[in-house]
Amino acid sequence: MRSFTHINARTLDEAIELLRKYRGRAVLNAGGTDLLSALKGEYLSRYPETVINLKSISGLDYVSEDGGLLRIGALAKLSDIVRSPLVSSGYRVLAEAARSVASPQIRNAATIGGNLCQDIRCWYYRYPRHIGGPVQCARKGSGPCLAVRGDNRYHAIMNSRKCFAVCPSDTAVALAVLDAQVHVSGPEGDRAIAVTDFFGPLANALRSNEIVRKIEVPKVSVSAVQTFLKFTVREPIDFAVVSVASVITREEGVCTDARIALGAVAPGPVRASKAEEMLKGERIDEEMAAQAAEQALAGARPLSKNAYKIEIAKTLVKRAILR
Amino acid sequence: MASPYRFIGKTTPRKDAREIVTGRANFLADRKFPGMLHGKVLRSPHPHALIKSVSRDEVMKLPGVEAVLTWEDVPNWKGGTPRCTRILDRKVRYVGDAVALVAADTEEHAKEALRFIKVEYEVLPAVFDIEEALKPGAPQLYEDFPGNVVTPGVPFFGPKNLKEVVRGDVERGFAEADVITEGTFGYENMPNPIPPEPPGVVALWEAPDSVTLWVSNQASYMDTVILSHIMERKIQPRTIGGPCGGSFGSKYMSWQVQCYAALLSRATRKPVKLVLTKEEHLASFTLRPASRMSAKVGMKKDGTVTAVQGTWLIDTGYYSMTTQSQIAVGCGEVQIMVQCPNWDLKPVIVCTNRNASGIVRGFGGQELKCCLIPLLSLAMEKAGVDPFEFLKKNFVRPGGGYFWRDGIWYNHRGIDHTKAMERGAEVFGWKEKWKGWLKPTAVNGPKRRGIGVGIHGSADIGEDSSEAYVRLHPDGTAMLFSCVTEHGTGQVTNYIRMVAEVLQLPMERISITPPDSLINPYEFGPAGSRGTYAIGAAIIAAAEDARQRLLELIAPRLKAKPQDLDTVDGVVYRKDDPGVKIPWKAMAVDRTITGYGRFDPDYSLVNCMMTFIEVEVDTETGKVALLRVVNATDVGQIIDPPGLENQLNGCLGSAGIDSAIFEEMILDRSAGRMLNANMIDYKWRTFPELPVIENVVMETPFPSHRFHAVGVGEIATSPGPSAVLMAVSNALGVWIHKYPVTPERVLKTLGKTGSGKGGAA
Amino acid sequence: MEKRKSVRPVAFLKKGEDTVVRTQKLTRKKARATERISLTVNGKIHEMEVGTASHQIDPAHTLAHTLRETLGLTGTKVSCDHGACGSCTVLMDGKAVLSCMTLTIECDGKRITTIEGLSDPETGELDPLQQAFVDHTAFQCGFCTPGMIMSAKALLGENPSPTEEEVKEGLSGNFCRCISNYHVVKAVLAASGKGR
Ligand SMILES: Cc1cc2nc3c(=O)[nH]c(=O)nc-3n(C[C@H](O)[C@H](O)[C@H](O)COP(=O)(O)OP(=O)(O)OC[C@H]3O[C@@H](n4cnc5c(N)ncnc54)[C@H](O)[C@@H]3O)c2cc1C
Ligand code: SF4
Ligand code: FES
Ligand code: FES
Repeated sequence: MRSFTHINARTLDEAIELLRKYRGRAVLNAGGTDLLSALKGEYLSRYPETVINLKSISGLDYVSEDGGLLRIGALAKLSDIVRSPLVSSGYRVLAEAARSVASPQIRNAATIGGNLCQDIRCWYYRYPRHIGGPVQCARKGSGPCLAVRGDNRYHAIMNSRKCFAVCPSDTAVALAVLDAQVHVSGPEGDRAIAVTDFFGPLANALRSNEIVRKIEVPKVSVSAVQTFLKFTVREPIDFAVVSVASVITREEGVCTDARIALGAVAPGPVRASKAEEMLKGERIDEEMAAQAAEQALAGARPLSKNAYKIEIAKTLVKRAILR
Repeated sequence: MASPYRFIGKTTPRKDAREIVTGRANFLADRKFPGMLHGKVLRSPHPHALIKSVSRDEVMKLPGVEAVLTWEDVPNWKGGTPRCTRILDRKVRYVGDAVALVAADTEEHAKEALRFIKVEYEVLPAVFDIEEALKPGAPQLYEDFPGNVVTPGVPFFGPKNLKEVVRGDVERGFAEADVITEGTFGYENMPNPIPPEPPGVVALWEAPDSVTLWVSNQASYMDTVILSHIMERKIQPRTIGGPCGGSFGSKYMSWQVQCYAALLSRATRKPVKLVLTKEEHLASFTLRPASRMSAKVGMKKDGTVTAVQGTWLIDTGYYSMTTQSQIAVGCGEVQIMVQCPNWDLKPVIVCTNRNASGIVRGFGGQELKCCLIPLLSLAMEKAGVDPFEFLKKNFVRPGGGYFWRDGIWYNHRGIDHTKAMERGAEVFGWKEKWKGWLKPTAVNGPKRRGIGVGIHGSADIGEDSSEAYVRLHPDGTAMLFSCVTEHGTGQVTNYIRMVAEVLQLPMERISITPPDSLINPYEFGPAGSRGTYAIGAAIIAAAEDARQRLLELIAPRLKAKPQDLDTVDGVVYRKDDPGVKIPWKAMAVDRTITGYGRFDPDYSLVNCMMTFIEVEVDTETGKVALLRVVNATDVGQIIDPPGLENQLNGCLGSAGIDSAIFEEMILDRSAGRMLNANMIDYKWRTFPELPVIENVVMETPFPSHRFHAVGVGEIATSPGPSAVLMAVSNALGVWIHKYPVTPERVLKTLGKTGSGKGGAA
Repeated sequence: MEKRKSVRPVAFLKKGEDTVVRTQKLTRKKARATERISLTVNGKIHEMEVGTASHQIDPAHTLAHTLRETLGLTGTKVSCDHGACGSCTVLMDGKAVLSCMTLTIECDGKRITTIEGLSDPETGELDPLQQAFVDHTAFQCGFCTPGMIMSAKALLGENPSPTEEEVKEGLSGNFCRCISNYHVVKAVLAASGKGR
């Protein structure tokens, strides 16, 4: 990697202050499993002058529950989330999503904050500098989106504009279905953002110099069935082609509450609100599940090579509902 | 039956096992040399362009930079067949083509220097498709190759070298056929075998005309031979091999990487290390050739093939070093698979603006079969022939023949492979599972299972020449001189095993020389499954020669004739009276005995691998799961049980079976960039998705060498891919003919997705 | 901004397998003074200066680079250099991590075990897991083997008698192109329960 200077931040405020001081020339490092790829590939227009380590901030890696809320510090490792009895008993969909990420070694280093803030995986965007130079595209602020006319098999099928990259984070999908809030801190203070609002077509909702501090998840009814389904080309390591998270409560076969989120289809996780509404009060069977799945994908507008993702998404929605 | 052997066929730890499990095996990247510099390559952003100017004034001032070379600075060294590709050229022909070379004290400094080299290009139109490249007016890659058609033929294979399969009378053949099918079939996904260790080298230029290279290749002697040709025979290259971190054919040839380092060392007179990154390995090193075949076959109701006619287009990327060889061998192998009297199969090698194709396990035959078997399957379906019966019936039997790569007709004098095929079918349960063409073996809701079978056989087990020495020492030890690198097959240990068996000497007492071209005789290297027979035969002959000389020398001391003596554990004794014995020391402490052995090519023996595949397809997601693989083969005699099993399990990776499931290089066909040149987006098989593999290995003695064995490692990958297509088609009940069977293709084949219209807003 | 504490070894004592070091804590006044980090690799403490000179740890150095180039521990292999293949797996405080995706400068105070640290330093006796790899010929080219063994070591540390499925899951981030995977699974199962 090209050289940079390095600072161990001791507090969140210090990290924010450093970000402010370096005016876009510093980057945050948590587990490093995504950041280091960017630094090695040198595909971004700007190479950071400084890397600010967040792991040196103590007390940000908790997984705890109080006041009916699950609280996860931004620096909690995915492996700790997977192993946490708290998460696997009450918030299984999150445990499953975290377990589906990459490999054991990556989960031992990767943090949930990093997982939410990781950069997109578009292969045009990430094309490495060393083999003919990086690629310019709409997201990088120059020219059109290359994926539209190129190979877009893994790209978005809904809610995109200008850039058709999808949100690569698996935990985001689980957190979206759990109605979680991302708490961020910045120079102007703290604020909370719903996970579904955290992602945008060209960037996430973090304002400059803001840092994710924690995630809060409201308690889920014990009778709810929580499911996370991830379709990948191969089982481990791969990013989702499509994923679905669901939390469904039934009383005597009748659906009393339904929450469904789709992953890897859009710039962020997408709640299938209409499908959710459709299910409530209904008896769940194959037919109903298939209808809800149709509804969930009703807004999909595929690119040249990714219409298959619609079919897979429908299948996953149906299977999640019927679980 | 008790084994007649003391070492052959026995499981012993590999000689290098301890080094490997402790991390002490010294792979190329682990080596350091005093004053060593690091080399890096500046690569082209354009798929096709002329270099107008290169400015490097700033670069030489940068810290640590010791040399910058461009096409203007380098000698006129050329590679390729014929030799048309300059080591650095004024023209770049793919995204990633070498534009300039830098040597600096650290890798980072070398990399940093690349940023400061300013290049002006005149961009030329580029072509990425085989058929587009053949059209009039298509961009031309080389003046030497009008119409982008690469000159056919391999002079090294002899004056009649095989360029096509033309024999008999195809018109008559079609007239005799009960069914005729035709169509265009491709195997165009260009998988990369990606050995874990990337290509690399350390070069040290020592005198005006001599250079030493530490290589990590599969065949370290051949590096010398190849480089000396490229360096116009004016330079003496010495190559020293070491442990090779995988190759699968691809690292047989790294002449470009080697020349880059050699030139940088020539410019600096310091050792230069140049190791490709994994991205470079994927985007700029050789891939499997891409094939597209338009053909027509005639078949009788009993599965007899009466005629094969067609054009086989091979996309070799921006140049070809070995594609003609692959074509020649593929053309030979296809006749072994289909014993048909009438052929008119014409290959055309085409160059396009992407990184080059080169050697990969399966060497031409896999590429051709992956196109031909789907076409034959259509005919089998029409004729109502079971594919297992078809492949069994048409494979060469003893006495059957084929034109091999040298254009000469050979008759197979080996064994009948039918027994192994039948045993494989039994273990797999073919008869019970086969329900007919396009019929699943089982349906469970949306999940459907299907089976398929494929075959491959080659006469390359006796290809090319090998030489070896075996030196006996008075202290009762021996040393094998053979220029072989260990690249994963375990063969280095097995050669010691063979010497041990001939000399009846414990394996611990036998060592092998480092694979250094300076001290060892000619060795073509382990390729094409030739290791066991060809290399083995040379080594056995050397050991036998040494043994004979020993017995001759000792005979007078024991008052016997050499033929009345034998040796065991470093002691020579009289066969009629084993009490009369004398240790090897009797040869005199100031003497060694050296035996020499040579193997000359023999194309009259054929190995065979039949692979049965069972898949399960989720028709709602398009996911293809590989459930079970049964490989059936006959090796004559097992030399090394775990080594053989490992090699057969290798059927999955290295651009083998998985090239039908998810392995592919994805080329953006407007910019010419490889989009998935990293190991996240390039898919490879992981532990949780391992299928069940059963290897059925028969041991019918082969008329090869004294251990009656032949190799099969190379061919393990080849029967699988077409068998996967067959299995998936049967599971779905619809033909699917494109590799790999991605979810997108499966769902499309099932009519479950329209193509998108664009604009995901 | 943080005032870094640097740790200097003053005496080495031999105690069991680990080299224990008594330390003297110095607090630097100026951020400019040479920054140091200390990491324990295979029981041995390494004190390293941060900087851009060749003997120093550049902040951009990965742990894989430091192990291989600075400390000469070339048993740790780099294949993909992007977190995808597991060749560079080492143990950090007992857990498997990817040394190619870890900055050395962030390993201050960590305990690292590499493939070189598994066999007995005095007798050379192999770890039972290494021995099982030898006995089962659980490799072909051997390039992936160090990373494979380290992942398996971490797995057995957490779960001394895993099922076959658990072994496969534990090794799911490790690439073996030769497909020695089947023999690896056998070797790990054979070594389980016997691990140190
Ligand atoms: C081989 C491989 C496979 C993978 N597979 C998957 C997968 O299947 N699913 C999946 O979801 N991910 C996958 N990933 C991505 C990776 O696991 C995630 O990116 C990981 O969770 C990132 O966490 P991290 O702590 O390492 O992030 P880092 O690399 O440290 O940071 C990532 C980005 O987020 C920023 N950041 C980090 N923390 C914060 C914070 N608290 N506030 C603001 N910004 C922050 C950083 O500046 C950086 O830009 C894979 C990665 C690899 C290399
Ligand atoms: S999808 Fe986004 S990142 Fe990818 S090429 Fe298009 S604009 Fe660029
Ligand atoms: S080299 Fe680190 S994961 Fe591949
Ligand atoms: S043994 Fe070669 S990659 Fe695993």
